[in-house]
Amino acid sequence: MIELYDFELSGNCYKLRLLMTILGIEYTPKMIDFFPGNEHQTDEFLEINPLGQLPVLCDGEVTLRDAQAILTYLATKYDESGQWYPVTDPARLGLVNQWLAFADMITSTASAARLHDGLFYHWIDINKARAGAHRLFQVLDEHLWHAEQDGELWILPGNNPTLADLACFPYTMLASEGGVPLTDYPAIRRWTDRFKRVPGFIPMPGIFPAGTA
Amino acid sequence: MISSTQTARAQWYPIAASADLVPRHVFDGMLLGQELAVWRADDGFANIWENRCLHRGVRLTIGLNQGSELQCQYHGWRYANRTASCSYIPAHPANAPSRTVCNKTYPVVEKYGLVWSLLDQGPTFPEVAALEGSDCTPIRAIPINAPSEFVLTDLSNEVLNISDLGMFTVQVSWDETVVMTTDTGLTMVFFAQPVDAARTIIRGVSTAPINGTVLRQLNHALNRLRRRIEEDAKNIPQIDPIEPIHSSVRAELGTMPDQLETGEASLRVVVKEKIIIAEDVAQFSLTPLVGQLPTAQAGAHIDVHLPNGLTRQYSVTNGPGESDIYTIGVKKESQSKGGSETLHNTVQVGDLLSVSPPRNNFPLRRDATKSIFVAGGIGITPLLSMAKTLHSQSLAFELHYFVRSEDHVAFRTQLDALGASVILQIGLSPNETSGQLGAIYSKPDSTHHTYICGPGPMLDAARAAAADAGWNEANVHFEYFKNTNKIDDSSSFEISLARSAKTLRVEAGKTVLEVLRENGVNLMSSCGQGACGTCKVAVIDGEVDHQDVHLSASEKSQNSHMMTCVSRAKSKRLILDI
Repeated sequence: MIELYDFELSGNCYKLRLLMTILGIEYTPKMIDFFPGNEHQTDEFLEINPLGQLPVLCDGEVTLRDAQAILTYLATKYDESGQWYPVTDPARLGLVNQWLAFADMITSTASAARLHDGLFYHWIDINKARAGAHRLFQVLDEHLWHAEQDGELWILPGNNPTLADLACFPYTMLASEGGVPLTDYPAIRRWTDRFKRVPGFIPMPGIFPAGTA
Repeated sequence: MISSTQTARAQWYPIAASADLVPRHVFDGMLLGQELAVWRADDGFANIWENRCLHRGVRLTIGLNQGSELQCQYHGWRYANRTASCSYIPAHPANAPSRTVCNKTYPVVEKYGLVWSLLDQGPTFPEVAALEGSDCTPIRAIPINAPSEFVLTDLSNEVLNISDLGMFTVQVSWDETVVMTTDTGLTMVFFAQPVDAARTIIRGVSTAPINGTVLRQLNHALNRLRRRIEEDAKNIPQIDPIEPIHSSVRAELGTMPDQLETGEASLRVVVKEKIIIAEDVAQFSLTPLVGQLPTAQAGAHIDVHLPNGLTRQYSVTNGPGESDIYTIGVKKESQSKGGSETLHNTVQVGDLLSVSPPRNNFPLRRDATKSIFVAGGIGITPLLSMAKTLHSQSLAFELHYFVRSEDHVAFRTQLDALGASVILQIGLSPNETSGQLGAIYSKPDSTHHTYICGPGPMLDAARAAAADAGWNEANVHFEYFKNTNKIDDSSSFEISLARSAKTLRVEAGKTVLEVLRENGVNLMSSCGQGACGTCKVAVIDGEVDHQDVHLSASEKSQNSHMMTCVSRAKSKRLILDI
């Protein structure tokens, strides 16, 4: 049985819950009280992940940290369609990996701003975090707007979303909680609506389901 | 700055591209510091509303575009397409929201591929000569962190160089637009949308379609411009954001509801369509002479003032989203006193009629696990609007429609659209009808509700069938066409008006309503026979002699309300809450 070290308000934990729900993978959540309990800094947890970060996933012998790394592991192992992480198509694989790195940049900016505003991480340079998030969202909005002109719905061309969409979605959607509204990024807002309608989609606190299409 | 903001609030600006408003999406817009929730309904109408729910102020841009209504994410209040009036409050499922609960809407014009609005009263939409008659193609909008005057100055000094198009030359610069033309004849018009004091969106429109490569090149060119403008703008003193103006709560919402509102026929409507849709049934479509019709909630009726001086009540059959028209069904009564006969024989397409705003005395709950509608003949009209409402939300219902023959089935196409939930009961005898009603009500369930409308005997039978099967009276809702009870007006008694501090005498032969009106208390009423519920008032003390068909038996025994048009007193005195 897969075990997920999980915190409900974490967008990176949510990514994994989301993918596992979409793929129908059963797992057991092990709740870590990140805030206010600070359980990710206890001796017990630091022995599981010395970086003291969530999420961590254990699947039999495999223990992995880092949300993006875990996504690629789960998709490669459990997604028989191969659509979420196209390992057999080098060009698409490269693109997905490029956007997984981008998702990590969203975490270090938009998510940092949210930790500052919502969870009292007052030592974060909030102006720098917000400016960084805006720079990324400009790039993402531009990309998605041109994709729409070409009739595309997702970050990568094609009929289905990939890990690129799934990994970028959570902290983009939660950005307004860190004082980064998406008003200037209409193409991003439409894309988030589309992603919420992917079969198997689940919400989290701050991310609401979409209405019927 | 303040005076220029005031001027700007009365000017038209683009706030989105038409293509931004995709189906079932809420666009997040802003103009002069004012947040806007912009959404396209399934009928194509673009709604521009103040971005907050009237209930707890939550942004409607996180709400749900349900096609004909916008639903707040927080407590599920629903607001109707076009009018923005609240159509349903989940926490008060049994009550119809007051029609004064209405969000702030802004004017909308869709032209040149853009969506335009203005915040205050202003001129009619001005045409843009350079774009008239051309195949307008908006390019990607560019948000810039700089004041709009600043952006315009830089933009009009800009010479865009697009390799596929050649050199643009700035041709004209006037009144917040910049027009550029290439030597190949392609014209681009740029508008600056003042998002806030120090934020601007450049919206460009090309006079001819352009391909994806050129769109990207234009985007690169404008991004270069953006970076330069933002760099320059760092040198100007910081400007405070514009303080948004939240529309204040309307006076009538902040005060006690006006119990003495008269039933005025304040709307002028034109008969747009009159068609015979079944044996003896005509459907009338009524459109406003000017402006917009108030939203009719499911179950609501309007008073129709006829050319011969009579007033009749008709249920509006509209479903959610059908908000620019009232559709009613009128059965030609063999014993017509001149109401239905006038509508059938005299009123024609193009005629002008006066109607009242919709009133809802037959509200629909949306929290039942299943709703059972039982319609007899023309009693289909309020139930059709209810069924369409539940259907639009995929909520469970059955609509049993009892009619004399196939030829008597009205609203056929609309019923077909509701699918298998509609069950036609054709040509049943009274005994067969009773048997069928027994079957319909055989499984009482506290989470099911039923709504009945039809001729008196059939309605009585349906209520009896539900009661016999053990249905809770609170789950059985009904609306009679008319009150066939013989009214006994032989009693005489006193009424005390608690709020108005008046005591009046009601003599035999006069109604409470008449006595109130003679004494300057202009209570709203509609049918005048104790069927519709419009003249209902609250009773504080005294025993009511109920003679209406609007209240249920348990409501009557509670003695808390009365219909002033027919009901009287058993005690010597009634104290009324008016």
